[in-house]
Amino acid sequence: MSILGQLYDRTWRRVRHLGGVALLGERVVVRLVTPPWDGREIVRQIEVMGVRSTNLAAVIALFTGMVMALQTAYALAAFGAKLYIGEVIGLSLVRELGPVLTALMVGGRVGAGITAELGSMTVSEQVDAMRSLGADPVRKLVVPRMWALLIGLPLLVVLADVTGIIGGMLISTWELGLTPRFYFSHVLRLMGYSDLFSGLGKSVFFAFVIGLIASYNGLSAQGGADGVGRATTDTVVAVAISVLVLDFFLTKMFLAL
Amino acid sequence: MSEERPVVVSVRDLHKAFGRHEVLAGVSLDVRHGETVVVLGGSGEGKSVLLKHINGLLRPDVGEVEVLGYPVWSLPEDELVEVRRRVSYIFQQGALFDSLSVGENVAFPLREHMRLSEAETDERVETLLRRVGLAGTRDLAPSELSGGMRKRVAVARGLAMEPEVILYDEPTAGLDPLTGVAVTALIKEVTETTGATSLVVTHDLAVARELADRVVFLKDGQFRFIGSLAQAARQGGPVAEFVRAGGFHA
Repeated sequence: MSILGQLYDRTWRRVRHLGGVALLGERVVVRLVTPPWDGREIVRQIEVMGVRSTNLAAVIALFTGMVMALQTAYALAAFGAKLYIGEVIGLSLVRELGPVLTALMVGGRVGAGITAELGSMTVSEQVDAMRSLGADPVRKLVVPRMWALLIGLPLLVVLADVTGIIGGMLISTWELGLTPRFYFSHVLRLMGYSDLFSGLGKSVFFAFVIGLIASYNGLSAQGGADGVGRATTDTVVAVAISVLVLDFFLTKMFLAL
Repeated sequence: MSEERPVVVSVRDLHKAFGRHEVLAGVSLDVRHGETVVVLGGSGEGKSVLLKHINGLLRPDVGEVEVLGYPVWSLPEDELVEVRRRVSYIFQQGALFDSLSVGENVAFPLREHMRLSEAETDERVETLLRRVGLAGTRDLAPSELSGGMRKRVAVARGLAMEPEVILYDEPTAGLDPLTGVAVTALIKEVTETTGATSLVVTHDLAVARELADRVVFLKDGQFRFIGSLAQAARQGGPVAEFVRAGGFHA
């Protein structure tokens, strides 16, 4: 095939992929807001995706908070402003690092899991079997996972925010000699509801995008174990890029509100 | 088979290509009420692709498929549900849901479409499992079953809605000869007792010999032969070669 032909083929595949994601997105949104919902399955998915991700989210946030405290103390020391470490850590974590890091790490783990599970079901004809039995795979498989992400990810972000702030406190007391009371009063001094709303709002958008990409890649997997592996890798990469790109636009949007 | 019986499945000039590879190149077939048609052909000839069009799982590039009077591809997905309630598809590997137990797999269509109490559902599941010779297996996971058992569970699940048409995709593929014979006998018993119209895709001549009212031979995207197995063996060309290679002689 000529280079032009290959270029056409690749572009067409990308366009179809984006179109497929958009169409699935529309179907998911309609089913998210219209009953019936499988409450038991949603709770099971929250357990699988959310509860089992708490250690990951907490450990990452704890050490991020600790590293931030060390780095911020170093930078602020040049201005004699070490005492303001609480404000910097609090705002950075709640507005930015909490939602983004949690979305990246948990999104990678959960997104890969969703793609692998749905992909295996697709290549073993279980999704076709579901359709042939008159059931809607989007409602049965995607919607419970999406609800679990929409509920679970913001809760994990709250956990990450709190743990990260505690990590900052540990360094502030051990290394800088601040009291926990002093540190927390500074954390809360500049933080407002808009900061919390911004961080949690972002996590809802991240949850939807993670669920959508992971589900689409799973449901369109082809070819067997090899195809499922490729789809899973694609999900991890696409989730990471999408979260970071989306974060820029969401930050602009929330700052403008 | 009487020509007076109504046509239940009608395929007209069906074309389907994947990329540049044309799998079905204009096939047409009528299946009448209560008839069992066996679609024969080598691997990769598009037999399963044909079956998936009949259940609305694949969209034709060109052509029409009508099942029980419904134009399958003119219907939106939610209206196809009515067709799928009345048409069962038994997948090649069973396609049982890994995350559900055997009993939950069989109960799936009942819970999806019928408003039965849990006790009624349980009773029907047990009856269906007993019918396919798997009483007492309801709490097992699909991964604990042998290939033959998985196919039996798939048949039980397929029978749950008392379908008018049953589509079997390679029902004996991957089974040892004895299990293959047992599964074929089960299909025969189901066909005789339910009176369902059946389309069986296979490359196993023993299945065709046991079940077929008519056989259809698919090669290079087209039906090369439609008739009885004995006629197929007497024909010249690829269909006779295929049939004789499978050990059938007129």
